[in-house]
Amino acid sequence: MNSFRREILISGFGGQGVVLAGRSLGLAAVHGGLEATMLISHGTETRGGYVRSQLVISDGEIDSPVVERADVFLALSQAAYERFRGMALNGLTLYDSDLVEPTEGLTHQLALPARRIAIESLGTEQAANMVALGHIAKLLDFLPFDCLRQAVTELSKRGREVNLAALELGRSLELE
Amino acid sequence: MRKVFDTGNAAITEAAILAGLNFYSGYPITPATEIAENMSRRLPMAGGYYLQAEDETAAFHMAVGAAMGGMRAMTSTSGPGYVLYADPYGWAIGSEIPVVILNAQRVGPVSGITGAPGQGEFYLSRYPTHGGNFETIVLAPEGVRDAFELTIEAFRLAERFRTPVTVLADQLVTDGWEAFEVPEDAFELERLGLPLPKRKAHQGPDFYPRSDGIDIPPVVLGRGTGGACSDWTPTEEGYDTEEIEAQMKHSYRLIYKIRNNRQLIDRSVLTRMEDDPPVVLVSYGSPSRVVRKAVKEGRAKGLRVGAISLKSLWPFQDALFKKDKIHLVVELNHDGQLVREVQRASGGRVHFLGRCGELPTVSELLEIARSLFGGGRPRPIKNVREAW
Repeated sequence: MNSFRREILISGFGGQGVVLAGRSLGLAAVHGGLEATMLISHGTETRGGYVRSQLVISDGEIDSPVVERADVFLALSQAAYERFRGMALNGLTLYDSDLVEPTEGLTHQLALPARRIAIESLGTEQAANMVALGHIAKLLDFLPFDCLRQAVTELSKRGREVNLAALELGRSLELE
Repeated sequence: MRKVFDTGNAAITEAAILAGLNFYSGYPITPATEIAENMSRRLPMAGGYYLQAEDETAAFHMAVGAAMGGMRAMTSTSGPGYVLYADPYGWAIGSEIPVVILNAQRVGPVSGITGAPGQGEFYLSRYPTHGGNFETIVLAPEGVRDAFELTIEAFRLAERFRTPVTVLADQLVTDGWEAFEVPEDAFELERLGLPLPKRKAHQGPDFYPRSDGIDIPPVVLGRGTGGACSDWTPTEEGYDTEEIEAQMKHSYRLIYKIRNNRQLIDRSVLTRMEDDPPVVLVSYGSPSRVVRKAVKEGRAKGLRVGAISLKSLWPFQDALFKKDKIHLVVELNHDGQLVREVQRASGGRVHFLGRCGELPTVSELLEIARSLFGGGRPRPIKNVREAW
């Protein structure tokens, strides 16, 4: 029997590392002895276009891999924010404050300056996904951070050190 | 077992190689491109051959040719390529050549949306070529684990039945990621029935027996046995003929070797059917995952619903569907394909929920299922209607 099921939705443009972020979370869950599924929706393009990653993590068999009520939603584009915000009304929406103009007056949402931190601290916008991921992992208390570090280490063909540093930056971030 | 987190495309590649695949030919297409890509890297490492063809028609012809040469062969594509398989598909059916085809369905028609799932080739997989007088074998995985298991199963069935077997997946299965286990040692392989027995070569002369028998090795060319494997109707010895009587015997064999052994192909999964529930949800492929969750949640709320999830589509398992049930068929298309077959098989009341390009939600399914109790028509919900 499943004692918990968590749904995580990540969406943005192609090239932002939406899939790698999701893949890292899924692999981290497997390293932590959990079950994980991830659905990817995307356009044909390699860069640009939309990408959505729906992750489900559980300690038992996962029936539906569909995210219907996201516990955590990471929006990396305005379009993604507007399209999926409604799926995370009871969860937490994190939006990249460089890329998303949030709807005023909503609760359960926090600005996450992942792109800004990646550029200013690591000199590359490409690590923004890992900054965000580090912060998400902090919110998912069932996921040991070491498992995430291990997953990112395995999956980073290039820029391993930068990615691991980005994870730490995201993890140490205090949002309000 | 080694637990990995990977895509359906990766699972299919590894499963095929574990099953003893030694020839793959294909033409890349989203959402099955990664199979070709993975094969190009992995298959030569495993001692097999990878060929990228100039188009899908050539790709499948090459796979059929390799299989006629005694190799374990496979090709993969999506809907726009699957239609181009029509010509070699018929050849493989007629000459009884074992070969495995993977179709990762995306929403269409034509190119449609490459990164969105569809279920538009249900009937095309039953009638993948012209001429009639045949039955097909089609398996349908729900997710990555299934894709792994059913790919192996497809090779087994293709060889037992001497026929092409289609694994009819969808974009969510091939592009989807899931934790699954890969066998690592001989003991674990044996538990999966692996490795499959080596392909045997028929020595003739009765290549095409007047029977519905299975487990007969196919013709392998170049053994001096005389079997021609042309695209003409064969005599029992495998020579071309234009005798109507030979055509009738051959047709009987192509149809009934599969129909009369359909219990060997059935891979349906029943969920909460033990107390004979009045409302039954029917699906195949990735929608079955959502359906199963809906049935479990519905039961927890006191709704007596069950589910029939089809993991083998053809030959259709008519006996699963009863006239006194209310069936709700859930598909990834708006035109309704599986629903027609369920209505034919059950002869009872059948409703349809079609979604185009994305899965339905659990709450949506539960709302519709609830409205079916009491024998009423479902409340008007978008995209739900009585079947024909």
